[in-house]
Amino acid sequence: MDNTFDFNSVGKRMPYTVPDGFFDTIEENVMQEVAAKKEKANPGKNRKKVVTIAIRSLLATAAAVALFFVVRAVIPKADTTPVDDFASVELAFNNLSNDDQDFLLALYEEDEYIEELQQDQEL
Amino acid sequence: MAVTDNDIIQAMREDAERGCRLLMANYKEPLYWHIRRLVVNHDDAQDATQEAFIRIFRSFNQHSEENSLRAWLFRIATNEALRLLGRQKKATMLSLEDSTAELLSLKADEYYDDGDALAARLQQAILHLPAKQQLAFNLRYYDELSYDEIATVTGATAANVKANYHHAKEKIIKYMNEND
Repeated sequence: MDNTFDFNSVGKRMPYTVPDGFFDTIEENVMQEVAAKKEKANPGKNRKKVVTIAIRSLLATAAAVALFFVVRAVIPKADTTPVDDFASVELAFNNLSNDDQDFLLALYEEDEYIEELQQDQEL
Repeated sequence: MAVTDNDIIQAMREDAERGCRLLMANYKEPLYWHIRRLVVNHDDAQDATQEAFIRIFRSFNQHSEENSLRAWLFRIATNEALRLLGRQKKATMLSLEDSTAELLSLKADEYYDDGDALAARLQQAILHLPAKQQLAFNLRYYDELSYDEIATVTGATAANVKANYHHAKEKIIKYMNEND
């Protein structure tokens, strides 16, 4: 056989070319496709996550509502009946001795804050 | 420092995304060119390369660490290239016994450099080979795989691969001399 062709004259050269930046983009294309196929293959995974979060939120809300009713049942209700504040103060004042009444009157007469309040009311 | 196949396997085990990127950095070019030499057309080679990598990542846990990672990757790439050729009916009844030379035209592709006539003729000579010889030649000559690794890729014995490689070389030399 005529053995004139020498492989070294070509080496590993090929007549093929690729677009500019081809090898930079093919990696990203593959990674995106792999991620997309992974997501498509496991759609239940995310749904499961959402359901878990929803159940946890529901349980937390239920626990808060239950706690509210328990606290309401355990702690006695505060007396919220309206009272006539002025009448009760007057009654208490009348029960004081004359000396105490004089002392209080003298004290409040000198109080600048009460004085300002009275001036405002007069205006 | 050069990344080894063991580094890639380790990375795939520890962090799949990092492993994928490491594998792609090392093998995207060799696998693309291997596929390109088989399917010739750039767009086809791009599709087959992407499909091959997706298949590789999805079935990586099926790779046995006792076997060569490189051979396993080239086998998947080869299968993807042959699948694409078969799917497109470019090679009707394509098998490893067939040659693809008559079915593929080098110049039909946009990404073809017609300035290197000798390199173009060598590719034409390779495409005239039966597929088994074509694979044996390409994987040995361009990718420098061992005969054992090529045997893993093609499913033949190492002795058969060696015989196919030498037959291929003889046929290429004959073709190149006749078409000088």
